[in-house]
Amino acid sequence: MAEGYRGPLERVGPYQWLIPQDYKPGMRVPGLIYASEELIEQIRRDQAPEQVANVATLPGIQKYSLAMPDIHWGYGFAIGGVAAMDPDEGGVISPGGVGYDINCGVRLVRTDLTVEDVRDRVRELVDLLFRRIPTGVGRTGKYSFPKKELRKLVTEGPRYLVEQKGLGIPRDLEFTEAHGRLEGAEPDFVSDRAYERGEEQCGTLGSGNHFLELQICSEICDEEAARVMGLFEGQLCIMIHSGSRGFGYQVCDDYLQKLRGVPERYGIKLPDRQLVCAPVNSPEGRQYIGAMRAAANFAWSNRQLLLQQTREVLQEFFGRPWEELGVHVVYDVAHNIAKLEKHRIDGEEKWVWVHRKGATRAFPPGHPEIPEAYRSIGQPVLIPGSMGTASWVLVGQPGALEQTFGTSCHGAGRRMSRAAAVRDARGRRIDQELERIGVIARARSRRELPEEQPKAYKDVDLVVEVVHNAGLSKKVAKMRPIGVIKG
Amino acid sequence: MCPFETFDHTADVGLRVRAETLDELFAEAARGLFSVLLENPEAVERHEMVELQLHAEDLAYLLADWLRELLYIFDTQHLVFSEFQVKVNERRYTLSALCSGEPLDWSRHRPGTEVKAVTYHGLRVEKHGEEWLAEVILDI
Repeated sequence: MAEGYRGPLERVGPYQWLIPQDYKPGMRVPGLIYASEELIEQIRRDQAPEQVANVATLPGIQKYSLAMPDIHWGYGFAIGGVAAMDPDEGGVISPGGVGYDINCGVRLVRTDLTVEDVRDRVRELVDLLFRRIPTGVGRTGKYSFPKKELRKLVTEGPRYLVEQKGLGIPRDLEFTEAHGRLEGAEPDFVSDRAYERGEEQCGTLGSGNHFLELQICSEICDEEAARVMGLFEGQLCIMIHSGSRGFGYQVCDDYLQKLRGVPERYGIKLPDRQLVCAPVNSPEGRQYIGAMRAAANFAWSNRQLLLQQTREVLQEFFGRPWEELGVHVVYDVAHNIAKLEKHRIDGEEKWVWVHRKGATRAFPPGHPEIPEAYRSIGQPVLIPGSMGTASWVLVGQPGALEQTFGTSCHGAGRRMSRAAAVRDARGRRIDQELERIGVIARARSRRELPEEQPKAYKDVDLVVEVVHNAGLSKKVAKMRPIGVIKG
Repeated sequence: MCPFETFDHTADVGLRVRAETLDELFAEAARGLFSVLLENPEAVERHEMVELQLHAEDLAYLLADWLRELLYIFDTQHLVFSEFQVKVNERRYTLSALCSGEPLDWSRHRPGTEVKAVTYHGLRVEKHGEEWLAEVILDI
């Protein structure tokens, strides 16, 4: 693995570490990493802080090149990186600032069921989910969208599924970031290859760190916010973590290729080729934005179909319609995306392109983009932990708008490489270990559980502690896993 | 010596390949890709053939494009391969290949890990003395 970061990290607040603007030539703003003392030691171990400094050289960047406490090395941008670009100052859009899995994100689903309703039947329920929901490499499911229909789907997002196909209810859309639809998706800027890869993959989970998890709400930290979201202690919930599948990977891949040589054409000097980008106000930039929005809409459609299949399984398992079981979306957030948003910067309101790569939007109470039902509590921020550890539900706080363009962390972040995790697991049965701590886990691949074992990830509680204490988002509830299906 | 091996790269998988010829190097890299996608790539039988012709701006990009092409075929046509006859033109950066394999069959093929993309980070194809070396990182 690459060597650690040796550059400056000046502590400028209890949870803020600054990379000064004079650290490397071309930096237009300083870098700022949110972390505790314990986490910053882990963060120094790879080149992620160097990547934060590299992003600071991009044209049009505002205030700081930011990073969340779960930051780790990524292609071009670090994962956990946040950057806002002003198009009027030559601001750029960068596929590396979004990632391969465009609109990878998390959907939290609640039920009226409790731990008592599943107590001795978790294994049975997990097995049924595993049989019905396609997971893992090369698995396709019951949905197929030929190009003509897929063009509609990626323009409309899950609204198409709900209104044209009856796959879900309008309420699902209301509690999805951006109502599950970025306007301005341009299906013409998406390649045939992306349509082909996407044709049979909408409604499939994928592999790697993606999962569908049965969780019990185990601790309430904010009674009022939990009540508003319909969460209570002992409740059975489902968390879905997946993205835009082959469709989005292909869009990213296509534009990494298409944008080769483009920065030079616009006189942009890059410290790392993988920061390849285009001015927002350029034909190349506009094309990527149109395609990226289509992929984002695909991802929300994918999570909608994963929800529908989950509803069908619960219906079959409990022998009652899902409506009676109260299977509803709490919220759905993207954590790999770039969006045009209005932010107050140095006392002035500006429209900026906010890149969030492995970072979650966290708008505070009162923000107009939050569903009305949640406007008094703030936007839910969903933070998945690793397989054996807790996940968290938080809500956005005013501090996020003031400090981080309305952004919080997105997860635990890996601590071990996949190969190291497999070596570490040699001679052990991860499924049995998980079962001993009360988690039934199923995966198609024998590599998946060793690679994704809890030890391979940082402690999500430490990450959440930082964003809570730094005023970016506030803890609402802790979710304990009891069953998980993976790739 | 195994002609290809995987190496650690944070959340992803690196492929390192060594071979005496460029043709063999590209063939081994393809085997490496299918050993990530499948747990038992040796179980892949050969009753279907696919022919490919590619051209890129240099050898490194040619390797990336080759693997991307195979990934695309896997993802859209659900074909898996176990033998690759590859001819690489070292000066023109062109490749022609005959890939032998069969349709994916979950009753015999055990799933490995999904590959999202072939990345450009640290991508290299180099000659060291008498030996060719390639490195490429797969996004998982």
